[in-house]
Amino acid sequence: MSELSIAALSKELRDAIENLETDKQLDEVGVIIRVGDGVAWIHGLRSAGYSEVLNIETPKGIVEAFALNLLEDEIGAVLLGDDSEVKAGQTVRLKGTVLEVPVGTELLGRVVDPLGRALDGGPAITAKQTGLVEREAIGVMGRKSVFEPLMTGIMSIDAMFPIGRGQRELIIGDRQTGKTAIAIDTMINQAKQNTGVVNVYVAIGQKFSKVARLVERLKTEGVMDQTIIVATSPSDPASLLYLAPYAATAMGEFFRDNSQHALMIYDDLTKHAVAYRQMSLLLRRPPGREAYPGDVFYLHSRLLERSAKLSDDLGGGSLTALPIIETQAGDISAYIPTNVISITDGQIFLETDLFYQGIRPAISAGLSVSRVGGAAQTAAVKSVSSHLKLGLSQFRELASFAQFGSDLDEATKKQIDRGQRLTELLKQHQYQPAAIWEQVVSIAAVSGGYFDSVPSAQIKAAQSALLAKLGTDHKKEMAELDKGGKPDEVMNKLIETTATSVAKGFAG
Amino acid sequence: MPGRLSRRSIARYIANGLIEGTHSKKILLKQLAGYLVETRRTKELELIVRDIEFALVEKGMVQASVISAFDLTAETKKALVAFVKTKMSAAQVNVSHIIHPNVIGGVKITVPGRELDQTIARRLTVLKTRFKKA
Repeated sequence: MSELSIAALSKELRDAIENLETDKQLDEVGVIIRVGDGVAWIHGLRSAGYSEVLNIETPKGIVEAFALNLLEDEIGAVLLGDDSEVKAGQTVRLKGTVLEVPVGTELLGRVVDPLGRALDGGPAITAKQTGLVEREAIGVMGRKSVFEPLMTGIMSIDAMFPIGRGQRELIIGDRQTGKTAIAIDTMINQAKQNTGVVNVYVAIGQKFSKVARLVERLKTEGVMDQTIIVATSPSDPASLLYLAPYAATAMGEFFRDNSQHALMIYDDLTKHAVAYRQMSLLLRRPPGREAYPGDVFYLHSRLLERSAKLSDDLGGGSLTALPIIETQAGDISAYIPTNVISITDGQIFLETDLFYQGIRPAISAGLSVSRVGGAAQTAAVKSVSSHLKLGLSQFRELASFAQFGSDLDEATKKQIDRGQRLTELLKQHQYQPAAIWEQVVSIAAVSGGYFDSVPSAQIKAAQSALLAKLGTDHKKEMAELDKGGKPDEVMNKLIETTATSVAKGFAG
Repeated sequence: MPGRLSRRSIARYIANGLIEGTHSKKILLKQLAGYLVETRRTKELELIVRDIEFALVEKGMVQASVISAFDLTAETKKALVAFVKTKMSAAQVNVSHIIHPNVIGGVKITVPGRELDQTIARRLTVLKTRFKKA
């Protein structure tokens, strides 16, 4: 061991001993009367507050817990650490604080647990500030309407269901339908488009192997430097799974409150509700629908209400939330999905059928909606996508009718053809978010009818050719279009001419 | 069948009875035993005793225990009683002294619901936790 580390150790030891000195007061203490399944019941501590941190003294050190059930005769507390050392009869003290986690720029690029402890093998987090895990949401006067776009880079979302900074947009669908993929692409797009938005990804009960793969991918894409990952695995205590989204939101709020923009991804809130149900049942709270406790709505509403666009007086920062919910057999009328749908400002519904038809992202045009994003949509994208959602919904309806017969009038046939081309166009590979100009040009080419002569199967190739041509020959114009302003006549003419000439090469 | 009473209510009833002397100690305990058997709550006996201690503190009667590794001098014992009396604003303090080598050194004063732990054993536990966190 080097001399330097010995000196540092010695100083730390001296500081620790100094800090041990306390004024001679009789501290309030309680005693554990029973413990099991990560829950301890405590006698005493009559002045304990809700969510207050408790220190349980075990022979191997202090184990933290937080008070969740304050009853007349006892307190139910959820353990935050290993419960194997916690036994009946042990002394419990009030820590005097509610839960706090480290916050700040020091967390960028790191993978931490919900208590802010490093999980990536790096040095311990030494943040200058801490944030409250449970914090009241900003009030009405502290907010502003959502007006700035948060581009996902996914054409179908940015064109049909635009998301604004400060919005809560639910991503919902069955397992293996590409929910996390949408969230990851959105994170990647923030780095590719240099938006400066900080990503906070919360893995709730996700396998650590999956989190490791995600970290690798984010590093490869150069996104990790502006990302914080809060990870919990299925083997973690339910208390940590429960705390993860709140702790991560505290980390995101630091950026929001410092006039920056942050994006929260909660992957996923179904597992969060399940962890809370487990805790509630162990705390003997009465079960309600699907055995969830009565306050499961409040569990998610108080979390998502913390995402907001702040007023100019408060710095104008924003916290956007993309919660994820997993449905069973596409049932969005189950308890947790309906709760979160009603809390959020819209949802992106992913359909298994579309996914297996090869339409990826498998976004359902009919069931998805963005309630506030319209005001935040980029003018450039808005100018070409006004009728996109309606057209696509009508196409899917007509297409199912068309299966029964071939006697269709010209107008219907045309609509179906256009719909097929649009469907092909909106297919997008993972990790390839599109820039604003790429989205505008691609959508204009199909919705403007310039690609009408291109067979559906050739649409993606034609799109690539068009983008390559415009990207090389008209770099300056495309850079201008990428700023998001509404394209003028000259720009529209340029897109039309180029798209028509490209289409000739693919005409069927 | 009487409704379920909280332990705190039971404890207050017993403590009041003991202090005010409305019933003899023997009768009070007989009543409590009968209630616990009838309501099948005999398992809560220990907790009820604790709650009675809490209730007695509210009435100014403190049952304290002092744990140390070695026997304390009469002067120290006297000082400790005075300390508890002041801190708890108690009219009456009964202290039981316990010698426990596991505390290594220092002293631990325990009163119902409160504690002053100035033992070496606790300092080591806190130190252990701090270094585990760092």
